[in-house]
Parts: sequence; C-alpha cells; structure tokens
Amino acid sequence: MTTFLDAATDRLGTDSSSQRRRQLLELFESVQLPTTRDEVWRYAPLQDFSLEQYTLGESSPTRDLPEDIASTLAVACIVIRTHDGELREVTGSHPGVAISAEPTGEACGDVTFAERYADDAFSLLSGAMAPCALTIRVGANVVLDGPIVIVHDAASSSVFLNVRIDVARGGSLQVIEFLLGGEDALVVPVGEFVVNENAELTLATYQRLATSAWHIARTTTLLSRDARMRQSVVGLGSHYNRARNDAEFLGTGASNELHTTFLGSGDQVHDFRTHQNHKVGRSRSLLMSKGAVADTARSVYTGLIEIEKGAGRTDARQTNVNLLLSEQAHADTVPNLDIREHDVVCAHASSVGPLDEMQIWYLESRGVVRDEAERLMVQGFFNEMTDSLPRPIAALVEQHVSDVLAKVTR
Amino acid sequence: MTHQLVISDLHVSVGDKEIIRGLSLTVNSGEVHAVMGPNGSGKSTLAHALTGRPGYTITGGSATLDGVELLTMSPSLRTREGLFLALQQPLEIPGVRPTDMLVAAGANPATVHESLRREADFVALRPEILERFVNVDLSGGEKKRAEIVQLGVLQPHFAILDEIDSGLDVDALGLVARRLFAATSEWGLGIIAITHFRRLLNELQPTTIHVMSAGRIVASGGPELAEILERDGYEPFRAQ
Repeated sequence: MTTFLDAATDRLGTDSSSQRRRQLLELFESVQLPTTRDEVWRYAPLQDFSLEQYTLGESSPTRDLPEDIASTLAVACIVIRTHDGELREVTGSHPGVAISAEPTGEACGDVTFAERYADDAFSLLSGAMAPCALTIRVGANVVLDGPIVIVHDAASSSVFLNVRIDVARGGSLQVIEFLLGGEDALVVPVGEFVVNENAELTLATYQRLATSAWHIARTTTLLSRDARMRQSVVGLGSHYNRARNDAEFLGTGASNELHTTFLGSGDQVHDFRTHQNHKVGRSRSLLMSKGAVADTARSVYTGLIEIEKGAGRTDARQTNVNLLLSEQAHADTVPNLDIREHDVVCAHASSVGPLDEMQIWYLESRGVVRDEAERLMVQGFFNEMTDSLPRPIAALVEQHVSDVLAKVTR
Repeated sequence: MTHQLVISDLHVSVGDKEIIRGLSLTVNSGEVHAVMGPNGSGKSTLAHALTGRPGYTITGGSATLDGVELLTMSPSLRTREGLFLALQQPLEIPGVRPTDMLVAAGANPATVHESLRREADFVALRPEILERFVNVDLSGGEKKRAEIVQLGVLQPHFAILDEIDSGLDVDALGLVARRLFAATSEWGLGIIAITHFRRLLNELQPTTIHVMSAGRIVASGGPELAEILERDGYEPFRAQ
C-alpha cells in the first residue's frame, strides 16, 4: 500500500530546487507527527488524525469566488488568488511592489527553514510540499493606496501553503487574507513576514474553511528597528483550528499588535498559540485573544512572552478572554512569561466564564428579553474585536459570527 | 389614559434574610412618591426586587400594574409592561451600543437616534457618548444621566429611581430632576424616587413622601415630611 509519505516522495522532482524539498521531507519523517503526549499538542484531537486520510490531489480549475468575498475586492489595490497553494492570478499592480511564486524552504532572516521548523512536523511538511512560496515584496518607502487581498482556496484533500511578505525600510502595506474551501481537507499554511526598519505591515487573516478541515497554521514575524506589525487572526472554520503566531523583536522600537478571535461551535477545537520574543529593548507587544465556545467546542490559548536579558524598557502585554456559551463547552488558557530583564513592563490577564448574569439582568431591566440580551452581549463581545479589523473584512466576520450564533444551542 | 402601580404586602428576602417585611404602596400616573429612610431600611431592595434582579426572592405579596401581576413575569416583561428601574450603579455592557439595546428593548428603530439626541440634550449629556458602548468609560454622573436618557427614550408608565441623585453635581441634579418632572405631565410618568436628599425633591415636587424603616413604610405624608426628616432625622420614625 502506498502511504501519504510515499506519494509525497514520488511527487518531488530531481532538480536542484527539489533537493531542499527532499531534505525537508526527510526531516519531517525523522521528526514524525506529534502526539498528545507532546506538551504543545496536548489539546489537539490527534487521536482522530491520520495523514493517510488525505491524498495529494491533482491540479483542478480555479473556482468562482463566493459573492460576499467578491464584493470586498473593489477596495483592493491588488488581488492575488491561490488554489491549493499554487499562485493562480494577480490582478492589479503597484509601483515598487513585486509578487512572485518562488521556491519554498528559503531562509527567513538569519535562520534557515529547516532550522526554524526543526521540531515542527507540519511546517516541515508544508515547506516540502507547497507548490510555491507566494512572495510579496514591497520596496523602500513604498506606500500602497489600498490593501492587497489574497484569497486562498483549498480544493484538494491536502493543501500546503507558503506565504512570504517582505516590507522594505519605510514601506507600508495592508494585507487581507481569506482562507476558503477545505472540505475534509488538511490545510497547512506557513507565513513568514519580514518588516524592516520603520516599515509597517497590517495583516488580517480570516480563516473560514469547512468545519471538516484540519487547519494547522503558523506565522512568524521578524521586526527590525521601529518596525510595526498589526496582525489580526480570525478563526471561524475548521474542525481543528490551530494558529501559532510568533513575533521576534530584532530592533529597538519595534512593535507588534496581535488580535486573535475565534468562535467555536459543534465539536470544533480552536488552538491558538503565540510567542512574543523580545530580543532587544524598547520593543512593544500588545496581544489580545478573545473567543467564545458553544455546543461542545473547546478552545485553548497558550501565550508566551519572552524577554531576553538586555531587552530593557520592553513593554509586553497579553490578555485572553474566553466566553463559554454552553455548559459542555470548555476553554483552557495558559499564559506564560519568561522574563530575564528587570526594567520592563509586562502584564497578562486571562479569564474563562459564561456571560455575566448581572449584565444580562441589566439589559432585561431595560426591556430586552433574555435570549436577545444574550445575543446582544455575545455579538458585543465580538464587536470589540471586529472593530479593529479592516472594514471590508469586519462586516463579513460580523455576519459569519451572527450566522453561527443563530445555530448554536445554549 | 392613567395607570396604577399597586404594591401590596410585599415580602422580599436576600439569602436567608427577610429585608422587605410587608410593604404596600400605590402610585398613579403623574404622581411622584419619594421613599426615604436610613441605610439598610430596604429601599434599594424594593427597587431591585420589583425589577427581578437575581438573588432577590419574593416571599409574599404582589405588585400589579393596571391589575396585571408583575412579580411572576421575567424582568424584561415587567419593563415592557411599563415599570423601569434607573439604577444607582448602572452596569457597563462592552460591545453593545445604546441604540441596539434600546431597539431590542422596544424603541422605534426609525426614531431612536433622534429621541436619544433629544433626551441627551435635556440632561446635557454629549450625544457622542451614546455612540459608544453602553455605559463603558462613562463617569459616575454620566452613567446616571444616561439612565434618564434611556428612560426618556423608552417612556415607561412608572420609574423607580434608585438614588439617582447620588454622584450628580448640583447642576446635573437640577437637569435630571426637571426632565423627570416634565415627564410626569408629558406622558404621565409615575415615579418612585428612592433618595437620601431633599435636594432632589425640591425640583421633583413629590406628591407623597414615605419613610421606610426595617422593610416597611412607617410614615407617609406631604412635602412637609421631608422638612421634618431633615430637622429630626429618621430616629423618631424607627420601626420597633
């Protein structure tokens, strides 16, 4: 019987660019898939997971965009479409912006792909199997008039997706990213973002894959001096939704604002991980993770703030708020601090609980019936997050949240 | 059309402790009743129990509005029947906008913005405050005024004001009291005003003043009662 790995090996060519892929695949094989005995995977329903459930699909035609997403494209400066990780279409252009399909597995910063993901089987597999690394380069001091919208469609049974964004000194870019499709699929995106001196990247990712998908995503942001990253990650789709979002502060004055939002229903599992690694001083991270679980859904948030020796006057804050919408829903929150410097400001707060009975009563005492009061409050809980999203995506997320809430049992 | 709120032999417990012990009070449209009394006499409990706050158990008696029993209804239905509570400490509801809340509470979506602005104007509240989330980041005094704005938009038959005067400066207190007094003739609002201070009553011109002690009304009278209370304190009225 041919295993997934045999098929993957067969698929790789023999040319020079395949050499690196082959090496990543070999590493993947030696690292092996994680189990729930691994601390960082202990909350994942890995007992239901096997690579053999998935196949490496054949190329299929680009599909029509859903209407709601198509309607948001008018604001875009450039629209990029990928299909099963393959760059299919680029519409529009901007001086100083280059978009290309490049080989996967390249080094990012001073660290090779194989080193960075040495113990991360899924990212290694993604680097080995992604058709290309979709690469966006923004030149020095280039400021775009509108966002770049990327629509990733996952049509095949297993989809490996690599995205790299590099904003040169003084450049400024906003990216809106959609993840669609994913019926019964394994979808493994790896994103690497390099924000150079005094440059700015705003990235909003809206994952709405089918609820049968396994989505295992990882992003890494490297921030130079005075670089600014504002990242929003919205996870509403997938059966298992894992999003690991890391930031490395390599230059003083760098800042990272990260907002993650999820709404779990049915038997979804949302697994958010963050690592803010302050390697130098006067850097700032602000992290807000907020989500709700209904039905029998589960969520876990694991956040690590690391402040290295010498990274004085760093300001790092993380907040994790979890709303339980049913008695069967469950949320875990695991904030971690690793601080090796004295002169820093570091704060973390987390909470898990149902809607506040007194707040419900307050709305009822205005004449709002209980169900409606709860709906308003849950919608309000998400409003606080969608308020920080770029406008075109905020309306879609609000609608999606409202549709899901209408279906969940309380 | 006039309405009548009748509270009769009400008993309320919080936990194992009986706080309200047989209280009766009748209020008609357009009337202003002030309820005064020392700390711990049960004034706020009366307000909260009537509006169904969790943790307050009605152990006896009734409260009817135009003959319809309120105490078996959910909190929202009581309000929709026409009994509104303006809280001493209004709660913050992050993420929920006042207009959405008021529409969900039955306000007309077509006119809610306009009436919000008009009511905000009455109590000198900056209208942009009402574009924010309900009570979030408002000062204590602004929250009190926001309660009166909600009341003005929803136009209930009766309002219980739970120490609406505490935390308001003299000017704001005057504006709030004048708005409420105007409402008594504008749509016949009947008021039960729980207060410690005579100041509110100067503007609100109560028809009746009640003194509460140990969970009962121990004395009722005209405005002259407020003067006696100010002179002699609550001690002469203390329940046995």
